[in-house]
Amino acid sequence: MAARALPEVNIDDKVFTLKYYVDEQKSHLSLRDPGLCLKCAQKPCLSFCPVGVYRLDAQGQVVVGYQACVECGSCRVACPLHNIKWDYPRGGYGVAYKFG
Amino acid sequence: MVRLNYDVIVVGGGPAGMAAAITCARAGLDTILLERGRFAGAKNLFGGVVYTASVLSLVPDLFSASRLPFERPVTEEGWWILSQDGVVKITHTNATLRESPPRAFTAFRAKFDAWLAKQAQKAGVLVVPKVRVIDLLIKDNFVCGVQTDRTASWDDHRPAQVKAPVVILAEGVNRILSIKAGLVPRDFSPKEVALSVKEVLQLPKGELESRFGLQKDTGLAVELLGEASLGLPGTGFLYTNTSCLSLGVGLFLIDYATHNIKPYALLEHLKRHPVLAPLLAEAETLEYGAHLIPEWGFFGLAKLCGNGVLAVGDAVGLVNPLFREGTNLAIYSGILAGKAAIYAHKKGNFGYHTLRLYEEALKDSYIYQDLRYFRKLKTFLQQNKSFFQTYPYLLNEVLHLYLTAQGRAKQEVFKEICQLIRKQRGVTGLLGDFVRAMKFLKGW
Repeated sequence: MAARALPEVNIDDKVFTLKYYVDEQKSHLSLRDPGLCLKCAQKPCLSFCPVGVYRLDAQGQVVVGYQACVECGSCRVACPLHNIKWDYPRGGYGVAYKFG
Repeated sequence: MVRLNYDVIVVGGGPAGMAAAITCARAGLDTILLERGRFAGAKNLFGGVVYTASVLSLVPDLFSASRLPFERPVTEEGWWILSQDGVVKITHTNATLRESPPRAFTAFRAKFDAWLAKQAQKAGVLVVPKVRVIDLLIKDNFVCGVQTDRTASWDDHRPAQVKAPVVILAEGVNRILSIKAGLVPRDFSPKEVALSVKEVLQLPKGELESRFGLQKDTGLAVELLGEASLGLPGTGFLYTNTSCLSLGVGLFLIDYATHNIKPYALLEHLKRHPVLAPLLAEAETLEYGAHLIPEWGFFGLAKLCGNGVLAVGDAVGLVNPLFREGTNLAIYSGILAGKAAIYAHKKGNFGYHTLRLYEEALKDSYIYQDLRYFRKLKTFLQQNKSFFQTYPYLLNEVLHLYLTAQGRAKQEVFKEICQLIRKQRGVTGLLGDFVRAMKFLKGW
């Protein structure tokens, strides 16, 4: 692949177009061992997640913003350390596409 | 959920699940369909194009409806082959494609699947949304029901179990229950799925028609190659809806991870392409979304059925990315699985040896034949990188040289073209690619 500088995109502007029924009681995504992420050099989750669920906090720890999840399943299989505990949200919760 | 015993349980309210449920209910089977979204379609997303024949095979009186569950007929389709700043367009239209009824339509999942749910209800299916199936009930090696995440009643706070001798898994690409049912030995890998992102873009009134040369009953569906996927294996797409556009792009999931590509940055790059940008000027994003596409193909195919259980659609991996087939294969597989469920109820036997009527029917169909024919697709795409990273750009350069050759000795122009091809791919590379492409297309 030829190197390209891809444009900076504020993913929150995209997520803003989606409708969610957020389950405030329970996150359907979590890190099995948050410490393990500190040892992960590449952290591909920061890139491949289409809605930017995975971000770094000020301490360099991966944090999970499950509220924006569109339940595609990418992180379920693409985390190199299989450190993401993945589940669907409870019935009726999560994303609800208007168009799809 | 008052009653908890049915003839058939269908898990998932996409086209595959709806087709299976409708088929069962029409034959008089007591059928329940469980959908985790707020309504059927709420969790679903595709490009998307729907083929009329597949819908007609499920809903024969489709065109008697006053409002169709589609956007625009697809009357022109093909490829836009993008370089970094240019395009070579290959699209096709003719009188047959403009005939009525159209052979394909653009559509939205949230609307199309919800419409299918209405057809299912008409057929007698009990469609229950907002219920997630968290596990299968397995007794004596037979799947005999499902465990849901909803309580049985106001008084009973235990999760409700729904029972039926046949469970049809239409759970989609994340085939978690299929693994529990023993139909697939392992989860898929990031090399076996494509991650696509899409934006639904609203143009100012009348601009869709004027920018894309559309009339009320015509529509365009093009795949975007080359720069759309940054020269990586993958494609973009642009489909015209009634009053808005669907624009998207997809790569193998592994490539986002390896090259640190953010899917939304890739889509934004496409939106800013010098050819696309003017077509999208003043567009407003109505909705963004993402979906995985099962591309494990023939070699990753799940077992289609087991004792008391059948799997359909994306859960099995019934997708042909080359020919943009998925929704139609989902519908066909749902119908075939439904027929096997009916047969099993007639025989009063729900074991694998009865349900494999579905497996046999699917293996006799073009769906399975195509899967086998294109079994090397993924390997071909991943190993023959020049089809994505060289040829789209080369084609643009060659055509540019040819089309701007005025005022020069043409012999010199052709020499330059030959040099360009030799430099970028070489005669051996070119011949090798040709042979490999032919071998692939011959199904070897």
